[in-house]
Amino acid sequence: MNIPTITAQDWVPLWPALILTLGATVLLMSEVFSQRHTSRAYQGVLAAITALLAGVTALSNAFQPAHGVFLGFGVLDPFSSFLTVVVCIGLLLATLLASGFLRQRNAERGEFYALMLFASAGMSLLAMSAELITLFINLEVLSVATYALTSYLRRGPRPSEAGFKYFILGAFSSALLLYGIALLYGATGTTLLYTGTSDVGRMASIATALPAAFADPNKKMLIFAAILLIAAGFAFKIAAVPFHMWTPDVYEGAPTPVTALMSVGVKAAAFAAMLRVFLVLGTATDPKLAMTLFSTLAFLTMVGGNLLALPQRNVKRMLAYSSIAHAGYILLGVAALFAVPSTPNEFHLLGSTTMSVASEATGFRSDTLRAILFYLLAYTVTSAGSFGAIAALERREDEDKPFAWDLDRFSGLATRRPGWAVAMAVFMLSLGGIPPTIGFMGKLLLFRSAVDAGLVGLAVVGMLTSAAAVYYYLRVVVYMFMRPAPEGQIAPERHWGTEIALVLSSVTVVVLGVVPGSLSDWLAKAGTLFLGN
Amino acid sequence: MSFLQDNIVNWVIFSPLAFVALVALLPAKEEGQLRAWTFIGMLINFGLSLWMYLSYVPKGGAEFQLETRAHWLDSVGMSFHTGVDGLAVSLMLLTGFLGPLVVLASWTYIHTRVKEFHLALLLIQCAMMGALGSLDLILFYVFFEAMLIPMYLLIGVWGAEERQMAAMKFFLYTLLGSLLMLVAILAIYFISQPAGPRSFDYASIYNGLVAANRELATCAQNSAACVTMSPMAMTLKTYGPWLFLAFALAFAIKVPMFPVHTWLPDAHVQAPVAGSMILAGVMLKMGTFGFWRFAIPLFPVVARQMRPVFAALAVIGIVYGALMCLAQRDIKKLIAYSSVSHLGYCMLGIFALTGEGATGSAYQMLNHGVSTGALFLLFGFLYERRHTRLMSDFGGIAKVMPLFAALFVIITFASVAVPGTNGFVGEFLVLLGTFKAANLSLWFGGLATVGVILGAAYMLWMVQKVFFGPLTQPANLSLEDLSWREALTALPFVVLVLVMGVMPQPFLDRLNPASERFVARATIGLSTSPNPFNAPLIPMQVMPLPGLPTAAPGAPAVAAANPFPPNGP
Repeated sequence: MNIPTITAQDWVPLWPALILTLGATVLLMSEVFSQRHTSRAYQGVLAAITALLAGVTALSNAFQPAHGVFLGFGVLDPFSSFLTVVVCIGLLLATLLASGFLRQRNAERGEFYALMLFASAGMSLLAMSAELITLFINLEVLSVATYALTSYLRRGPRPSEAGFKYFILGAFSSALLLYGIALLYGATGTTLLYTGTSDVGRMASIATALPAAFADPNKKMLIFAAILLIAAGFAFKIAAVPFHMWTPDVYEGAPTPVTALMSVGVKAAAFAAMLRVFLVLGTATDPKLAMTLFSTLAFLTMVGGNLLALPQRNVKRMLAYSSIAHAGYILLGVAALFAVPSTPNEFHLLGSTTMSVASEATGFRSDTLRAILFYLLAYTVTSAGSFGAIAALERREDEDKPFAWDLDRFSGLATRRPGWAVAMAVFMLSLGGIPPTIGFMGKLLLFRSAVDAGLVGLAVVGMLTSAAAVYYYLRVVVYMFMRPAPEGQIAPERHWGTEIALVLSSVTVVVLGVVPGSLSDWLAKAGTLFLGN
Repeated sequence: MSFLQDNIVNWVIFSPLAFVALVALLPAKEEGQLRAWTFIGMLINFGLSLWMYLSYVPKGGAEFQLETRAHWLDSVGMSFHTGVDGLAVSLMLLTGFLGPLVVLASWTYIHTRVKEFHLALLLIQCAMMGALGSLDLILFYVFFEAMLIPMYLLIGVWGAEERQMAAMKFFLYTLLGSLLMLVAILAIYFISQPAGPRSFDYASIYNGLVAANRELATCAQNSAACVTMSPMAMTLKTYGPWLFLAFALAFAIKVPMFPVHTWLPDAHVQAPVAGSMILAGVMLKMGTFGFWRFAIPLFPVVARQMRPVFAALAVIGIVYGALMCLAQRDIKKLIAYSSVSHLGYCMLGIFALTGEGATGSAYQMLNHGVSTGALFLLFGFLYERRHTRLMSDFGGIAKVMPLFAALFVIITFASVAVPGTNGFVGEFLVLLGTFKAANLSLWFGGLATVGVILGAAYMLWMVQKVFFGPLTQPANLSLEDLSWREALTALPFVVLVLVMGVMPQPFLDRLNPASERFVARATIGLSTSPNPFNAPLIPMQVMPLPGLPTAAPGAPAVAAANPFPPNGP
């Protein structure tokens, strides 16, 4: 029997995660050598630099063709590299926000940043996981770190409530996922997603074993149940309706920089894992099933998220619902991913004769995947930025009060801090999908794929809900620009970290909204290489 | 100068943006400088748009001229494609003309956040020029939406008491329509072109649909032909009505046409003078322009089927707008409703689908921009002095403000289409076109004529109440007549009203070919079509970009074999 060996080549894809872990360890150790009153300003800088380094390393891996590592337990492909980059961008913005935020609360400690970095390492590995147990472990790595982060500020009931809720429901969803994995293992006898990506890995995989198992009437129900359970598990993580209940409370209760990280990093990583698993599960069984599943989820999430966000006066909570709604738009793209090869589609009746159906499907899928990735990045930058504006405005003494994040807080911001108001307006317009912002380009690409897939009805629903969404996004703009500042309200404190984060994200939002070309081309490549696997 | 000349459309679009950068760098306290630099920027923009207008070859030239094309997002077929036809170039001239006057009109009116105000004006100028000058559907959409944001701020920040509600209503109404249009744009992008690399280019999409539209037209006349239609025509038959409605809704809200007009009175009443002038002057024309450029040429058969509905809505708009005017006590609201009525003529002229109607409609678009812009401007002067919009607060103003009264009455004449003013030319052509239109009941023209009479009634009634009779209000006794700055701002409008009324030909020269092409496209496949060269394809003359599809297959060859006669039949 061959004893599988791990080559040096296997370590290359791990570099981003290793850098993050190393940074986390250093930050943990720094606490050991710190006195109670020593300045800890360097910790935020260190964490930000680590995020930057990891992101650059991931970027340098981005154009390698897909190949399996660690006996096919992980896959390095442009898709996972891109997701790692997205996570690192989210992490960078979150750490920048955290440094000022924690300073104000006198809560700057190495373990906070360490937890953030550990969580991000989990996210990066999650995007690479090509084996279900590995995937589950990485999901837990990131989850446990975020549970702790959620209740990091122990003052008052809100953080504890949020942390507890997140933990209970998160554990529940993990259990669902695990159950689904177990059933799938029962049906196929393996937990590997792909076959033969390493020299020794000629083991059976879900991709090869599933079609046969699915054809077997005895196992069919088992597989159905497994798919539903796995989908439910992921739906919890990405906060899709009707598995979204925890989101508003947790997002509201968590320290705002953590919320920023959760809304972007956790979501992006969970989407990555879900895409990887379902691209195998969906195509190996019945793509129509996956399409129905995701169309339903997308419909419920788009409508539910937006309707629930409408009446919110609490901006942080509103953004939590808005993050649900945006998960709905991404789900629309995921549904489109499964639409083409199986369902006949009127628009494709015109199809050319030069391209074979298969390559047409691959081309379409790579387009759709690009749209999803682009949207993930667009949402990451915009959402992190908008939570940044909230973090900047928040005041420590109001944390437990019901009006802590009320719209009134934004009144007259345009006169008190014009720069912040412009940045926040840019984020709101981008979340609403108004050109010329990255949010519009993301929606354009995503809806283009949806229409191409024949999901016109769902696209119309998406458009109508985003029209409704503009109402609550614009309300923030109304308060900032059209209401006078309340008497006696002092201008909020400035902090270099927050300001850098706001400038970085708002500039990115506008620049990529006007010239999305280079990014989109890279994503096209990422999508093609991923599917070529 | 060829560098300027070759990219003149882009210069017109982006020159305000250069001044945005400049104005943004000026200190907020230097109000005089802010105003002056914005004014200079607008003046340069006007100069450039005039240059562009004169560079456009009206006779014997191609349809789209001064085109430029650059890479934007190749992988989905978006390119930065700009160029103008006769209508767009005229509307861009109007936009350029209004620009400096809008700045002058707000010279003493705006005192809060002066810098942001002027930034918004410049941004809006850029977005409006961009929407008119773009030949790529997504590019058009981006500009079309982008102009909402500064307009929203103009109404919401510098408006009257109820400004926040009005701004929100304006934004959401317009957005709802245009988002549905975005889905329709995506659908037509897939339908019009075969699988493979597709393009959002207007010409590609239009040319791709021509054959299918011709088949549909045949099918509409002879149901036997429906069986043998190509797949594209079949798809278009199924989806076409919905897509047309999505486009039509977006543009009808913008026009605004009768049932979706309710945002307009609020927006106009609450907006500051500059906002009203821009809104009435140019932004409403985006709706009529959209029908002309996109909704009807892309879906001519559906448009013809729905013609009675839209013509009826246009006539209802004319009469209803006029009746609403008669009931108003608020002057600004009256002018706003008169816009609903006037834009009704534009829509009626478009849906008449005759050369006269279309030309009249286009001319009326320019007229309305001039005369309603001037009305809002002049009323703004009065409002600045008295801070009331109610007719009953005035009376006998002509005695204390003779110059103002004279200017106002001339503009009123233009608005009620007295011969010798520009309004007469436009309304006459629209009515002529409507009466000549095939398959359109005489009732439409007849009722529209009633609207002309009502229009005279409400405008003259308002003028009488405000300017003549005894001076009843003591506050009005001390009103000062226009300052030289105000008079100078209003003068260009008055001159233009008379020039366009007496010498319409230079303007019509550019509009005529455009309207002939429009009618030819709208009447594709009809035996009654006035033009033997049915529905000209748009020649794809601009440099192809590497890696980008330039046209639907076969289109260039057909275009070359079937050149559109420059001066019509």
